[in-house]
Amino acid sequence: MRFQHFIAATLAATAMSVFPAAAADYPVPTVTLVTHSSPGGGSDVFLREMSKYLAPELGVNVVVENVSGGSGAKAMADLAQAPADGSRFYATTPTFIYTSLLSEPEFKYTDLEPLVNFFIDPEVIYTATGSAYQTLEDVIKESRESRGRWGAANPASLERQALEQLKAATGVDAGIVSHEGGGDLMINVLNGTLQIGVGEVQEIQSQLEAGEVRLLATFSDTRLDNYPDLPTVEELGYGVVVRKFRGIAGPKGLPADVIAAWEKATQAVLASPDYKKAYEANNLRANYMSHTEYGQFIDDFANETETFLRETGVIQ
Amino acid sequence: MLSRDFVSGLAAVLIGAVYLVFAYQLRTSALDDSVGPGGLPRTYGWLLLTLGLLIAAGALIKQIRSGTALDLKLEWKGQGRRIVWAGGLLAIGICYIAGVSTLGYPLAIALLLAAVALYQGARPGLHIAAIGIGGAAFLWAVFVLVLGVSMPMGLFAFL
Amino acid sequence: MEILYQTAVHLGDPYLFLAAAAGVAWGILGGAMPGISPSIAMALLLPFTYTMEPTGAIVLLASTYVGAEYGGSIPAILIRTPGTNAAAATVIDGYEMNKQGKAGLALGISLYSGVLGSLFGLMMLMLLSKPLASVALAFTPPAYFALGILGLSVIATLSGESLLKGFVAALLGLMIATIGTDPVTGSNRFTFGSSDLLTGIAPVLIMVGMFAMSELLVQASDRSEGIKVLSRPRMEFPGRKLAKRLAFPQAIGASIGTFEGVMPGAGGTIASFMSYNEARRWSRHKDEFGKGSPEGIAAPETANNAVAETALVPLLSFGIPGSNSTAILLGGFLIHGLVPGPMLFTRSADVVYGLYAGLFIAALSLLAIGMLMLPVCIWLVNRPRPYLSAFIFALILSGIYSIHASLFDLAIMLVAGTVGFFMRMLRIPFLPAVLGLVLGYLVESSFRRSLVVSGDDMSIFFTDKVSLALLVVAFLFVAGSVGKRILDAVRHRPSAKYSEGSE
Repeated sequence: MRFQHFIAATLAATAMSVFPAAAADYPVPTVTLVTHSSPGGGSDVFLREMSKYLAPELGVNVVVENVSGGSGAKAMADLAQAPADGSRFYATTPTFIYTSLLSEPEFKYTDLEPLVNFFIDPEVIYTATGSAYQTLEDVIKESRESRGRWGAANPASLERQALEQLKAATGVDAGIVSHEGGGDLMINVLNGTLQIGVGEVQEIQSQLEAGEVRLLATFSDTRLDNYPDLPTVEELGYGVVVRKFRGIAGPKGLPADVIAAWEKATQAVLASPDYKKAYEANNLRANYMSHTEYGQFIDDFANETETFLRETGVIQ
Repeated sequence: MLSRDFVSGLAAVLIGAVYLVFAYQLRTSALDDSVGPGGLPRTYGWLLLTLGLLIAAGALIKQIRSGTALDLKLEWKGQGRRIVWAGGLLAIGICYIAGVSTLGYPLAIALLLAAVALYQGARPGLHIAAIGIGGAAFLWAVFVLVLGVSMPMGLFAFL
Repeated sequence: MEILYQTAVHLGDPYLFLAAAAGVAWGILGGAMPGISPSIAMALLLPFTYTMEPTGAIVLLASTYVGAEYGGSIPAILIRTPGTNAAAATVIDGYEMNKQGKAGLALGISLYSGVLGSLFGLMMLMLLSKPLASVALAFTPPAYFALGILGLSVIATLSGESLLKGFVAALLGLMIATIGTDPVTGSNRFTFGSSDLLTGIAPVLIMVGMFAMSELLVQASDRSEGIKVLSRPRMEFPGRKLAKRLAFPQAIGASIGTFEGVMPGAGGTIASFMSYNEARRWSRHKDEFGKGSPEGIAAPETANNAVAETALVPLLSFGIPGSNSTAILLGGFLIHGLVPGPMLFTRSADVVYGLYAGLFIAALSLLAIGMLMLPVCIWLVNRPRPYLSAFIFALILSGIYSIHASLFDLAIMLVAGTVGFFMRMLRIPFLPAVLGLVLGYLVESSFRRSLVVSGDDMSIFFTDKVSLALLVVAFLFVAGSVGKRILDAVRHRPSAKYSEGSE
C-alpha cells in the first residue's frame, strides 16, 4: 500500500497552513518521516502526533509517509537510496533490525545512519485478572510444575526474544506461543489459553483500565513512573532487560548542521510540557540519545539480537 | 494414453515433486515447534504427489476398461490453437509490464487498450485510437487523480 | 432499548448523514475497482478524517467499509472479477446469471441482500454486542484450527465432477499460502531471496488471476464469434415469489456472517464461501447452483455485509482489530484520542451511538446509491466484446498495481491467470485453490500454535469443546458428500456439476 504521493500532498497542505515555514537554518523546507507501519498502525499514529510538536522546533513542515511492505525492507531500501540532505528520515523500531537479520534484504540497517533516539517503550508482562497468578513468581512456579504457556505478539520479535531469555534464565519448560499481533495475543490471555502475555503498556491500556488484565512485571531497566509498585524482571532476579526504542535514522552521510538541528529539536520536543503530558499518559519513556550515543546503541542492540538469533539457530 | 485426466495427474505429480525439493531444504532452528516450518509443506507435497498418481492411475484404468484406444485427436482437438491465441494476449500483458516504467502509465495503458481491442477482433480505424486515448484518460483520472496511486510516469513525469 | 433510543437521537444529524453517504459512495467505487480492497479504500480516506469531528470521522470510515464490501460484487457479477476477496463466492453464480442476460436481476439481488445483511449485522452489533464478544473469547487456537477445517470442507462442494481433482486444487492453494514468513518461527519459506515474497502472495492476486485473467485468456483463445447475450441496462429487484425463495439463503448468510465477523481473523471470504455452501446444501434447487442460481448470490452477499457490521464487535469491545479494515478503523479512533475497548462505552458512549446511527444511514444509502450507479455499469459491460476485454485487462492491470505499487504483483497475477487457463483446459476446478489459499495461513498457524500450547498433545483438538464441535460438523459434511458421490457412482448416476471449473 503506497499512498505517499496522496498523503504527502494532503498533509503538506495541512501542515503548511498551521506552521508557516520559517526555516532559515534548516537546509530544506519539508522533512519527510518514513514509517513501515501502515496508516493507522501504532508507529504511524505515534509519528503523526510527534510531528505536530517537531515541526515548529525544526522550523520546517513535517510530513509522515507510509512505505509498508516486507516488514520494513521496502522502507529501508527507500531510505538507503534517498539523498542525505536532511529531507528524508526513517522512524526506527526494533523491527528494522529484526528484518535486516532475518530476511537479509538488499538494504539493511547498516545502510542507514542512526540519528537520535526519542523514546523507550516499556514492555510489561500481564495476565488475565481472573487468573490465579498474583506475581511473576507464581507463573514461574506453576511452569516449573507443569508446562508453562507464554505468549508473544509476533514470531520473531523483541517480545519473543525477551520470553526466550526469561525461559532460559528461569530454566523452566514453557511453550512460547507467537501470534499475529497484540490483539490476537490479548484474546488468548483473556480466555485463559495463555498464562501470560508480553506487550507495550499503551497496547493493553484499555484492558488495564477496565481491570481485565493485571500487570506482573516490567522488562524495563527501572520501575515505571505510572506503576511504581510493579517490579522489574531484573529485580526479581532474572537478568532480562528489554529496550524497545523509537528513534530516527537517515541515509548515510548526513551533514553536521542537520545532525545538530535534530539533536537540539529532539531535546526541545521531549521537554515541551504539552507533549510531555501526552506521551507520559501513553506510558512512553523519554530516552534521548545523541547521534553518537544512538549509533553505538543500535550497534549493540543489533549485535545482541544477532547473537540471540544465531544461538537459537534462527539464522546461520 | 494422454487423456486430459492423465495429464492432470502428471502435472500434479510434477508440481508436488518440485515443491517437496524446496520443502526439504527449509532449515530448522531452535525456535521451531515440533511441526516446524517444513512440517505442513512436506505433508502438502506428499499428498499432492499421491493424489496426482491416483488421478493418473484412475485415468489409465478407465481407459483400459473402456477397451477402445483413446482418440487423441478428439481429446485435444483445437487445444494447440487455443494455447497460441491465449499466449498472444499474455504476450501483450508482458509487453505492458516490461514497458510501463519507460513509457509511463498513460501511454502504456492506451497502447494496451488499443492492442487488446485489435487482437480481439475490433476493426482497425481511427476509433481504436480514440478508445485507447479515452480509456487511458479515464483510468488515469480514476487511479491517479481520485485514488492517488503513484503509477510509474516514465515519459509523463511532468503530469 | 436505551441503545435504540440513544441511536435514534443521532439519526437526524445532517453531518452524520453526509459522512455516511459519502463513505458508502466512496466505498462502492473502491470496492468495485479490482485490487482496491476495503482497507485500501479506507486508508485513502484516513488523512481527511484527521481534521474532522470524531463521530463523523468514524462514521465515514465505517461506511466506506460497508460500501466496499457491497461494491466488490459489481465486477464479480459483471466481469468475473471479484472486486474484494469476500466477493469471490459471488462470482460463481453471479457471472453465470450475467451470461444469461440477467445481470440486472443479479445486481438487484446482490444489492438488496447486501442491505439486508448490513441491517441484520447492525442489529446484532447494537443489541448482542456483549454475548457476541464472549463468542470471540471462546475461540482458542484449536477452535480456530477446527474453523479452518470446517471451511476447507467446502472443497467437497466446489470440486465439480472429480473430488480428487478438487483436492489437488486445494493443495495448490494451501501451498501458495506457505510462501512468506513462517507463522511460528518467523523464518522465511519459499521466498528465494526476494523481498517481494516476504509478506507472502496476497490472495487477491491469485483470485483476480484465476477468475478474471483466465477468463480473458479463454475468450482470446476462442476465436469463434460467440453470441454475447446482452442484459437490459436496468436494475431489477426480485418479485414476491423469488424474494420468498431467497429469504432462507439470506437467513443462512446473515447468521454465518454474524458469527464469522465476530471472530478476529476469520473474515468475510470464509463467511461467503461457507454460506454459499450451506445455501446449496439446504436448497430445493440444488441443480441450479453453479449455473446462475439467484440463491448463490443472495447467501454470500448477505454474509459479507453482515461481517462488515459485526467485525466491529471485537474492535469496540476489546480494541482488537480482526482484519486490515478494522485495523484502519482503530487508527481512526486512536487519532482522535479515543481508545476502543472495554472503557469506550463508559467514556465515549456518544461516539458509539453516533456510529450506530451512521451505520444505519449507511445501509439505506447503500440502496439509494447502488440503484443510481448500477445501470451505468451494465451499460458499460454491454459494449462489444473486443473493447470490453481491452478495458477489463487495463482495469485489472491498473488495480493490481495499486496494491503495493509493484510490477512483481502484476507478473504474479499473469502467472496465476495462465495457471488458471491450463487448469480449465485440464478440467481441474480452481475454486478449491482459492479456498485453500484463503484458509492456508489460518489452518497452519492455529494448528501449530495449538500444539505449542498443549506441548505437542494432539488431544487438545478434542478436549477443547468448540474445536470438537466444529470438527464433528466438518467430518459429517465431508462424509455426507463423499458418501453421496460413492452412491452416485455405484448407481451409475453422474454426479452433478457444481463448479465452473470445467470449460
